[in-house]
Amino acid sequence: MKKILALALAMAMGLSLAACGGGDKGGSPAAGPGSGSDGSSSAAPGGDGSGSDSSIKVGAIYITSQNDVAGYTYQHHNGITTAMEALGLDPADLIVVDNVPDTDDTAVANAIDTVVNQGADIVFGISFGYINAMADKAEDYPDVIFSHGTGYMANDTNFNNYFGRIYQARYLAGIAAGMESKRSKNNSIGYVAAYNLDYAETCSGINAFALGAQSVNPDAVVYVNVINTWGNETLERQAAMALFDVYQCCVISQHCDSAQPQQVAQEYGMKGCGYNSDMTEQAPNAHLTAAIWHWNVYYQTAIQAAMDCNGDASKFVENMGGNAYYAGLKEGFVDTSPLNENWDGYSDTKAIMDAVRELIVSGEWDVFSGVKLSYEITDGKVEIIKTDAPLMDDQGNEIVPAGGPSVDDSVIKGSMNYNVAGVIEG
Amino acid sequence: MREPLFRAVKQEGAGPVRQLMAYGTAVLLALAVGAALLAVQGVDPITFYKQMLTMGIPGSRYPWRAVENFVKLFVPLLIVSLALALAFKMRFWNIGGEGQFIMGAFWAGFAAMRLGERLPQPVMVLVMALCGALGGGLYGILAAALKVRFGTNETLLTLMLNYIALYFLQFFAETKAPWNFFLDPGSARPKFAKFPGSAQMILIPVGPFRLNLSLIAALVLCALIFVYLNYTKRGYEIAVVGDSPSTARYAGMKVGRIVIRTVFLSAALIGMAGAFHMSSAGVMSASPTNDVGWTGIVVAWLAKLDTMGILVVSLLITVLQFGCQTASAAYPSIDANFANLLQGVILFTVLAADLFTRFKIVVRGRKEAGK
Repeated sequence: MKKILALALAMAMGLSLAACGGGDKGGSPAAGPGSGSDGSSSAAPGGDGSGSDSSIKVGAIYITSQNDVAGYTYQHHNGITTAMEALGLDPADLIVVDNVPDTDDTAVANAIDTVVNQGADIVFGISFGYINAMADKAEDYPDVIFSHGTGYMANDTNFNNYFGRIYQARYLAGIAAGMESKRSKNNSIGYVAAYNLDYAETCSGINAFALGAQSVNPDAVVYVNVINTWGNETLERQAAMALFDVYQCCVISQHCDSAQPQQVAQEYGMKGCGYNSDMTEQAPNAHLTAAIWHWNVYYQTAIQAAMDCNGDASKFVENMGGNAYYAGLKEGFVDTSPLNENWDGYSDTKAIMDAVRELIVSGEWDVFSGVKLSYEITDGKVEIIKTDAPLMDDQGNEIVPAGGPSVDDSVIKGSMNYNVAGVIEG
Repeated sequence: MREPLFRAVKQEGAGPVRQLMAYGTAVLLALAVGAALLAVQGVDPITFYKQMLTMGIPGSRYPWRAVENFVKLFVPLLIVSLALALAFKMRFWNIGGEGQFIMGAFWAGFAAMRLGERLPQPVMVLVMALCGALGGGLYGILAAALKVRFGTNETLLTLMLNYIALYFLQFFAETKAPWNFFLDPGSARPKFAKFPGSAQMILIPVGPFRLNLSLIAALVLCALIFVYLNYTKRGYEIAVVGDSPSTARYAGMKVGRIVIRTVFLSAALIGMAGAFHMSSAGVMSASPTNDVGWTGIVVAWLAKLDTMGILVVSLLITVLQFGCQTASAAYPSIDANFANLLQGVILFTVLAADLFTRFKIVVRGRKEAGK
């Protein structure tokens, strides 16, 4: 009898163990095979095809699964495969290690060794936390190229980092939100944010969005609701609901993984601006436009530069024209998704967004400068009015004097830790 | 009393050969399930399994690197499984391997960041191992002492202490502050600083391959634990307390003391594994365990708490984990979840095989022949 008890206990232990093990993987095993068939169908044509002439192999280290159907890893994987297709590379030359936690350096180093061992000539790491391992391995393998997304470390030969001026796209999305706020005579705009001042990436996005909204409606206030994680559908949903319930917002934006905030906006009959990908599909009535990435623009440039190295990895940084790739609207690296045509404010907003896009692309003006924009529309023609005005933070400090040049790139990328006037963290 | 519809009856004479055969069949069955899944996704199972078992080592650019990485995964799993088996032998259900590992890693990292500049490498690596052992051991004693003193449930307590340890470490990983010497001061975002050179694990060059000293330490520990459990009085005490605390008490053993001592030993070894892991990595991580605290339970159980069995099973599980990652890298449709899935299926079938070799199911009304 005692043995049976012990056995039952051990079985229970085994079961609870399986439950614990499954818990942190978030049920993805179930999603794996199902979504896998989608992934393989796109890869199948080249999968068994003969190797292409070019000998370059691409390695990638992902934070979640390559078989995801949305989110951060999906965006990058899509970017890499699109770029490889455009360059005529065989999809089988992509070597991926996925579900690599960015909080375990040994796991990252192992993953890099795995893709290098299988012949990768260039290794992309997409999560900030891979930074130590990427830097180490770039030293370890001078004959392999390393390229780290969202990082800041690099060397002069085989190791660079890449990121984009997503704040420019945020400003454009802010214009749409500002128009909706003006139209509905409601100055409250909401923003579901993974973090605010903890990361320059997040607060620069919030600031740019607020400035865009204020260029249309100077009285607009952006209420930020922070969820302290990059992605959690439940928290994203709750945060969005709070913005509507508590702050009576008429439109919300987001810096988090899923389309939940947009879906909440739809349920409330309000509007929203998405992030990462066009979220119109998830919230057709609510979604106005999204700040989106075209990662393939970078990946194509980088893989081409790697191919031009002809086996000498140390030439990579030179071929890229520097070790920190930072591109924006001009290069097509970031943009906004097509504005929702069924929205009443469509035509005026589109005209303004197009004019501002053109202005930013021309390089004459940038978001965080001492010049504010406002617009006058006559017969569908937009005139941009530039006014010198200081860029102020929410504590009343002057960041940029009236007429002054834009805040330095290094601040926008790395050390920005303030909100502009008109942003209130709830 | 009414006889239940089904009941499990202990089966006599299930010898080791029969048991091994049952295990072998179970693994084959699991691999067959895996093969079917692979085939559905358009991957040739034979090629995949071949790559998995060879771990992609033949024909790779830096084969010795793969072996080194394999060792880095194998050593923590081996030590943690051995340590957990110590506690399990005493029927102390230490589910806190994760937490004890993290605490070991934390204090080893603490020593590395504070003393790394001053001490020479051999001393530093030893100091880290001792700090890790102490950190892990004391964390384990917390649960043991409460059990001995107040009769608390150690399964729940050690389980919950895991999460406290995890968030404790995460606090240091994410809090950018002048006092936080764990972080790299040159980084705007919180990021762990690398250990000073002397706090890196000692690597003995064997040709191009660098032998990680912790492998030798782990194998020595394995032998020591084997002797401790089978040929010492203290080892015998563990077995007696495990079988029946009352008997132990009747025989004059101080049960409380034995429990605390053994749990300290178990947790200290796990902490030491964490320390080895940190010095091999050369940098702190916010979640350094690679789930060894959980996988170790599986290993200890599959090996029936037998020291040599643990050596074999932890080796096989590491081959499965490492090999699966390597093999799946080349296939777009196979992601890392497949390794988890395969591991789950193997565990399930082996446990089922175990059940059926030790027990047989008797249906009501059908009398067993010969009885």
